[in-house]
Amino acid sequence: MDDIHLHDRALVDAVLARRPGAFERLIREYQGLCWHIVYRMVRHPEDARDLCQDTFLRVHQCLHQYRHDSALKSWIGRVAYTIALRHLQHKRIPLLDHTGDDDDSPIEQVSDGFDLETACADEELARQLHLAIDALPPLQRTLLTLYYLEETPIAEMAQITGLPSGTIKSHLFRSRLRLRDVLETRTGAAA
Amino acid sequence: MNHHIDDMDDTTPPFADSAHEREWLAQEEAMRRERLQLDPAADDARVRRYRRVARVLRAPLDAALPIDFAQQLAAQVAATPTPAADIRFERGLTLALGILMALAAAVVTVLYGQAWLSPLSTALPALQPLAGRWLVAFAICIGVSWLLGSWQRHARLAPPA
Repeated sequence: MDDIHLHDRALVDAVLARRPGAFERLIREYQGLCWHIVYRMVRHPEDARDLCQDTFLRVHQCLHQYRHDSALKSWIGRVAYTIALRHLQHKRIPLLDHTGDDDDSPIEQVSDGFDLETACADEELARQLHLAIDALPPLQRTLLTLYYLEETPIAEMAQITGLPSGTIKSHLFRSRLRLRDVLETRTGAAA
Repeated sequence: MNHHIDDMDDTTPPFADSAHEREWLAQEEAMRRERLQLDPAADDARVRRYRRVARVLRAPLDAALPIDFAQQLAAQVAATPTPAADIRFERGLTLALGILMALAAAVVTVLYGQAWLSPLSTALPALQPLAGRWLVAFAICIGVSWLLGSWQRHARLAPPA
């Protein structure tokens, strides 16, 4: 059994035994993950805070059902994802935008002579990219955040979302390609 | 963060389209090089673009949970009654209601039982007298097993001394 599993087991046992400070420690350890998933899914800060609270209340209520067959991170991430998903369904917000999934962009066409840094100011580029990320469908935004900010491997993202690894790879690929297109369109226009 | 910096994902199958696979590898390479903060001078144009995307994706989100989120929530949970206490209360209430119903049934049977039993015994003469005794024995067996089961459940739920 590796260090992460031993750590998970000790933390879960401490929370179930109601040791003082144990649940607070669990929240501190996983609140970043929870926030990254929920906030990227729902985008509304107040709703996201309430949903993070619901997530940890659910975790506290159901922790005795955790069987250690996956990492605690994946289990808590799955709870957060499910709660955020229900919120989106309740608000009738689609998880995916099916209209923008066709890849018509010329993948191989990248101009080597084009200097990004001089074409457009750094801050402006970053702002445009942030806008483009916000415009992505909730699922793709969340997967990108898990991959880059949490450095979650694809297999673990599959456990969190319940999607096959191939589907996650495809979403990551398409969303990064779309962001690259945005970058080129914006810098092209600026140039 | 438990994902090592030099881990590139090689667990998922490659894309069927070789151009897509090359693009995917460029995306992964850019992510790795940005994490390691490697010199961008060695990057080709494609990797340079994806590194720009990676830099923005690795930036902290524009909002965060309150600093005392964990402390507040843990205090809120600690102040609520434990599920075990709730379950004990519910079981106690169920048991009390069960006893009350059994007592009520016994009183009603004593008061009106004679009136119900006489038409029954005339309607089912074949049951008398042997079958009637078996029915009584069967009811006693059911009652005893129910009582034993309840006693065992109660013994299991009782907190250790």
